[in-house]
Amino acid sequence: MNIQEQHITFNKQKLILNNQRTIFWPKQNTLILSDLHLGKAAHFRKNGIPIPSDISSLDLQRLASLIDYYRAENILVVGDLIHAGINQEVLLLEEFKQNHASLNFHLVIGNHDRQVEKLAKQINIIYHHDKFEMEQIHFVHEPAIDRSVFTISGHIHPGVSIKLPPNKHLRLPCFWVSAQQIILPAFSKFTGLDSRKMSEEYDCYALHEEIILPLKNS
Amino acid sequence: MSQKIIHSEGFKIVNRYFESLGNTPFGFQVRTWDRYMLGYSGMVIAPTGFGKTFSVFMAVLIDYMNHPERYQKGLKLLWVTPLRSLAKDLAKAMQTAIDDIGLDWVVQVRNGDTDPKIRVQQTKAMPDILLVTPESLHLLLAQKQRDKYFKNIRCITVDEWHELIGNKRGVMVELALSYLKHQHKNLQIWGITATIGNLDQAMDVLLPGEKKSVQIVAKEKKKIAIKSIYPDKVELLPWAGHLGGNLVNQVVPIILESKSTILFTNTRSQSELWYQLLLQAHPDFAGQIALHHSSVDAHIREWIEDNLSSGKLKAVVSTSSLDLGVDFKPVDTVIQIGSSKGVARFMQRAGRSGHSPFETSIIYFVPTHSLELIEVAALKEAVKTQTIENRDPMVQSFDVLVQFMVTIALGGGFQSTELHQIVARTHAFNYMEDEEWQWCMYFITAGGKIGKRYEEFHKVVQDSDGNWIIKNRRIALLHRLNIGAIVGDAMMRVKFLSGGYIGMIEEYFISKLKKGERFNLAGRILELVMVKDMTVFVKNSSGKAITPSWLGGRLPLSSNLSHFLRKKLAEAIAPSNAEKELRFLSPLIQKQQSLSAVPNESEFLVEHIKTNEGNHLFFYPLEGRLIHEVMAALIAYRISKRYPISISMAMNDYGFELYSDQEIHLDQTQLTEILSRENLMQDVISSINSAEMASRKFRDIAVISGLVVQNYPGTQQNNKSLQASSGIIFRVLMDHDPDNLLLKQAFTEVFNQQLEEYRLIKAFERINNSQIIYTFVEEYTPLSFPIKVDSLRQSLSSEALIERIQRMEHANKSKRGRRK
Repeated sequence: MNIQEQHITFNKQKLILNNQRTIFWPKQNTLILSDLHLGKAAHFRKNGIPIPSDISSLDLQRLASLIDYYRAENILVVGDLIHAGINQEVLLLEEFKQNHASLNFHLVIGNHDRQVEKLAKQINIIYHHDKFEMEQIHFVHEPAIDRSVFTISGHIHPGVSIKLPPNKHLRLPCFWVSAQQIILPAFSKFTGLDSRKMSEEYDCYALHEEIILPLKNS
Repeated sequence: MSQKIIHSEGFKIVNRYFESLGNTPFGFQVRTWDRYMLGYSGMVIAPTGFGKTFSVFMAVLIDYMNHPERYQKGLKLLWVTPLRSLAKDLAKAMQTAIDDIGLDWVVQVRNGDTDPKIRVQQTKAMPDILLVTPESLHLLLAQKQRDKYFKNIRCITVDEWHELIGNKRGVMVELALSYLKHQHKNLQIWGITATIGNLDQAMDVLLPGEKKSVQIVAKEKKKIAIKSIYPDKVELLPWAGHLGGNLVNQVVPIILESKSTILFTNTRSQSELWYQLLLQAHPDFAGQIALHHSSVDAHIREWIEDNLSSGKLKAVVSTSSLDLGVDFKPVDTVIQIGSSKGVARFMQRAGRSGHSPFETSIIYFVPTHSLELIEVAALKEAVKTQTIENRDPMVQSFDVLVQFMVTIALGGGFQSTELHQIVARTHAFNYMEDEEWQWCMYFITAGGKIGKRYEEFHKVVQDSDGNWIIKNRRIALLHRLNIGAIVGDAMMRVKFLSGGYIGMIEEYFISKLKKGERFNLAGRILELVMVKDMTVFVKNSSGKAITPSWLGGRLPLSSNLSHFLRKKLAEAIAPSNAEKELRFLSPLIQKQQSLSAVPNESEFLVEHIKTNEGNHLFFYPLEGRLIHEVMAALIAYRISKRYPISISMAMNDYGFELYSDQEIHLDQTQLTEILSRENLMQDVISSINSAEMASRKFRDIAVISGLVVQNYPGTQQNNKSLQASSGIIFRVLMDHDPDNLLLKQAFTEVFNQQLEEYRLIKAFERINNSQIIYTFVEEYTPLSFPIKVDSLRQSLSSEALIERIQRMEHANKSKRGRRK
């Protein structure tokens, strides 16, 4: 796995954005991500739509590699850990937790996480309704409208469309970063992109297998 | 007549029926009746308006009257038609004939529009004759009682076969026919088709391996008169899309003198534009003319069709949405705006006027730029020589196959080996490998490539008798709702804030509009108020508005027509007296000749034009926009392989342009090299992003094969969690299941349809056998100008465009002035 990074300062905190769709916060030794949508492929399959099934396990492998790389002690998922019901793919999380026994796993419950609570209790995931707060930064699922607080969120699966001359378009996942707000890309690769334009106060960091690319937003 | 049939009782009765209407049967009808009675299957080829319906339909009635013992209770004749709108009128005509003859048969329609009550009644007792679409036929096969429905079936007729054979709905028909033929060995299958280039193949596809089959061709021919509308003078620099508008004043009198007129345009945006143009040119048309295209609300379209039939409308501006369908008796004039892109389409449209058999169909051609007059000359010759395009059948459409397999599983199940045989008998899957069949089984039973630990996938399961069936009711429901091979764009409904539904519009177009912006739809000017839940709310407005350019509105130029175009262009330099269009164009062709050259049929022209903006290379293969897109990318790639250069491209149906602000170094020898046939396909693959193109093709495949669910049951909750775009699934499959057959199909479709590999190779062979004429010019030539203008069109709004063109024309003029 190729990890490329961009260092930013957000509410006086040093944060590391990387091209693997996560943020590492060195001071808190925490890996932050959003929209894992575990079990999405299995949910499709259960409804008769044949989607290959190793997507979830590959997403979790990627997560494990990132934890190893940063030697993170905490992990914070800002919503949509699971996609729908509890199925075989979701239960991979149990194994993941066993392999990372010392890891503190925090979850801010997202709109997809309707059935997560029972599982979270069983496998010792600390979950928070609405928000979780650290160093005056609010961690929420849906981007906040209130600009007076610093927030980090996910939910919208941000993406950006890049034009390559002459006629090619490339759609990439991205971070949107303003002075008060960071919106995380979806961690899972089996997710769509919302490539709507954001207002000018946001900077864009487009993500690719090889690079993380700061883009001018104009 | 030597046929035995004329002495039969049934024939005498039907003949008396014809006499009572003041008609006599056509020769091809009697031949069909005769062959049918002898147990043949076959295909009837006849122009519209000559009673081709009655050829097969009456054959069944006559056979019944002669041999009532061959027919039992229930469904006897299944009539498959591609058009829902056609079925109702057809059923009425059949029922009237049956009643008049004095039989007690019942004719009914079954499709999406059918009243649920009638549908329930049909499941209890089928009518004697049932009219269905390919989709509703598959829905019948998805029902548990299917064997009961078809128990006493004698004949299946596929109407308008030419409309089905070239697409995936045709594959649906092939599969259904093969399935029913397997169950009923004596089933007689008949096709009815208009003339196409590959009739023999069309029959093989319909009746694969059938020994007792016959082709019956009507001797009657439809007469077509083609009349061009000429501008007052030839513009020496023709530009696309503009000229047509100037001709509206010549079009108005034609409409006024006719009883009723259909104006055909090629795109919905063009039809919106012409509707407005006509109203401006002749305000009295308000309320007398209408606009008909596929984005207009179905109820409004129905209203328009009814009023066209009853003669209440003076004119209708339409797109291909009125190409097919019921006859509009009052229509006596057809006007084609711009290129029709194909011979068959042109003839079909012409045939919409003067419907009774021996009337001449009149079609007026309004060129959108003067070069299109060459196309009229080409069309005239193609019509005269009856050179009509092929409709190539699709093969190896695994998306349709897996859908069909689930359908059969749903309607009572199947045995794998037996269904494999049935499928392999069709033309479409004749060359299917055993492994491919196994893959399809794997796909519907195990969901393709999976890890062994997962058991959730239960689409198709095996019962204790070894039958493959569907048990899960929700899966069954989702499948029934999504049977079919027509995939629409993501469309949004357009409604007034005050209520009232106007039509449908592509999500893509609306996503580019801001609140308060105005656009044209269904002949109205509308202001965008808000977008909510896939509905666009608007209010009436006035003033300038954007006409939506719908995606996929561009029809490809057929290879037949391109052949005639090249011929006529070559002839235009010294036209014969009879070629009015070419004579009219003479000044333009002379100018082309004096500035550069007019290629003859064994020459290929390349122009190197240097302007203030930079360097342009213009190529003229006359193969149509789609092929030119591929060629342009290929040539640009080959040039950039020689030395680094950035090149932009533009194209129309006649040629393409490569543009660079740097010098393009290319001598005659190098030019010959970059046009070489050698390594053609390798270079094409390197020059285009085939994965991106395949991803686009995959959209339809994903929907048809059930990877993307288009329609959900209305009341079910939790649908959102099942939505994924085909783009995501394409990516996921490329990463996790690269051997997926449906992915391979997407790439194959790119090569066969998008790149038109076969035609591309032919084109390069032709170019390599031609003498290459390479001219250096310092101003735009008549041939290059429309391409240049088309390339501006893509990025600029229309007013700015007109200004810019005027500046360019001006610059050209002053340059000439200086030289003198």
